[in-house]
Amino acid sequence: MPTIAIVGASLAGSSAAATLREEGFDGRIVLIGAEPQLPYDRPPLSKNYLRGVTPFEKTLLRPADFYRERNIEMRLGTMVARVDVDKRSLAFQSGERLDFDQLLIATGGRNRRFPIPGIDLPGVYDLRTVADADRIREAMGRGGRAVVVGMGFIGAEVAAAMRQSGLEVVAVEPFKTPLYRALGEEIGRVIEGLHRDNGVEMFLDDAVTAFEGAGRVERVVTRNGRRIECSLAVFGLGIEPAADLVAGTPVRVDNGIVVDDQSRTNVPGIYAAGDVANHYHPVCGRQMRVEHWQNGVKQGAAAARSMLGRGQSYDEVHWFWSDQFDANIQYAGFHTAWDRIVVRGSLSARKFLAFYLTEGRVESVVAINQGRDMRRTFPIIKARGAVDPARLEDPNVDLRTLAPATA
Amino acid sequence: MARFVTVAKADSIQPGQMIKVEIDNFPVAIANVGGTFHAFDDTCSHEDCSLADGDLVKTAVVCPCHFAEFDVRTGAVLAPPATVPIKVYPVRVQGSDVQVEF
Repeated sequence: MPTIAIVGASLAGSSAAATLREEGFDGRIVLIGAEPQLPYDRPPLSKNYLRGVTPFEKTLLRPADFYRERNIEMRLGTMVARVDVDKRSLAFQSGERLDFDQLLIATGGRNRRFPIPGIDLPGVYDLRTVADADRIREAMGRGGRAVVVGMGFIGAEVAAAMRQSGLEVVAVEPFKTPLYRALGEEIGRVIEGLHRDNGVEMFLDDAVTAFEGAGRVERVVTRNGRRIECSLAVFGLGIEPAADLVAGTPVRVDNGIVVDDQSRTNVPGIYAAGDVANHYHPVCGRQMRVEHWQNGVKQGAAAARSMLGRGQSYDEVHWFWSDQFDANIQYAGFHTAWDRIVVRGSLSARKFLAFYLTEGRVESVVAINQGRDMRRTFPIIKARGAVDPARLEDPNVDLRTLAPATA
Repeated sequence: MARFVTVAKADSIQPGQMIKVEIDNFPVAIANVGGTFHAFDDTCSHEDCSLADGDLVKTAVVCPCHFAEFDVRTGAVLAPPATVPIKVYPVRVQGSDVQVEF
């Protein structure tokens, strides 16, 4: 009986396991996760779980019965030490071995830590797992002022959740606006307004140079000389792909595990999906690694089909959301740079679509409180042809009529 | 006791459209799928978003916030992040009125 081992029991790994059974695979499936919990959904960790609004049970991706009924072997709280590519075998840290016929690596990412003095002080947190969220929640329970270091998506969501929980929140962000790298200055200012209007104090163009305190964080010191007293600090400085498992093996690693558009690595029988996978995207014609929820679900499923010999070119328009205060923010597409932003709707009302264009082509779209229209932009993004900006801008033009004919 | 409540005029909801109504202060979405009306919980079972603000694609309602999808005929989940079905309600058209059993 063939064995498929899946290392990483989060979104991509569990989606792959479920898909393997859906597609009729009747061999052995072993789903291995480092965390002790059943696969759960991470987006609530920086939002409603952090606020105590959503209980953990509600974040489970599937009930425990799901795995039992489908005979998916769960090895949770289990660390994999090594993979032996030639022998097709995994070595667990416990010393146990597991032979496989095919392997899916869905190990995700780990938070970046910078060598900022005091970053290891108690009271300084980062957020990736439910255990991290629980530690932050406990600290939030003490009240007081929280400092958020880095206003990327996780930082901005944590700032909102803590503010909504009644804490005083001060954010320090090295760029000119929150979400600057993802959204640029114009839309970044909208996010800045959202946070300021909700009482988040923000120091932009500034960076944390030290966390200080006697046995526990008491203040944050910044490059511009600010000293911000606080009872806790949370940093969100991005992630790096967790690709160590294949270090020293022939599996190619370059900004994650390099795979083609069917999740295949350069080593036959070994696949990767989710945050760890630097995949070839056929629409853009280049490699990319994304850290989105939707990609975890869909690429996990696509990898499973690929493992069964039913792979298709994975050409999803990448998409994600972020909820901050009353703003539902969505992003679709692939931009790395743009030469023009066209807005349909109102920036000041925080209800709009923003199209990021390069040479007249829509590379990506950002929606704020306008999710209804988002999926209608996917064909426009995918077509990769020039679109009349006046029609993009005009809310009376049906977006479904705007996708340029593909060549 | 369940009874039929008039919620809208039939000609006020075009095919492919949804509206949100309140029955006893409870938000219910009404969808017109090719001339047939369907009624279901307006609030997504994932998080508090109004499904009537979303998109109707044939018999699927797509939540505008996180793209969870439900079958408007049965309430079944068609796409995550939702994992719990939504409730659906019987609908009838009496004369020009759309009525929901609630």
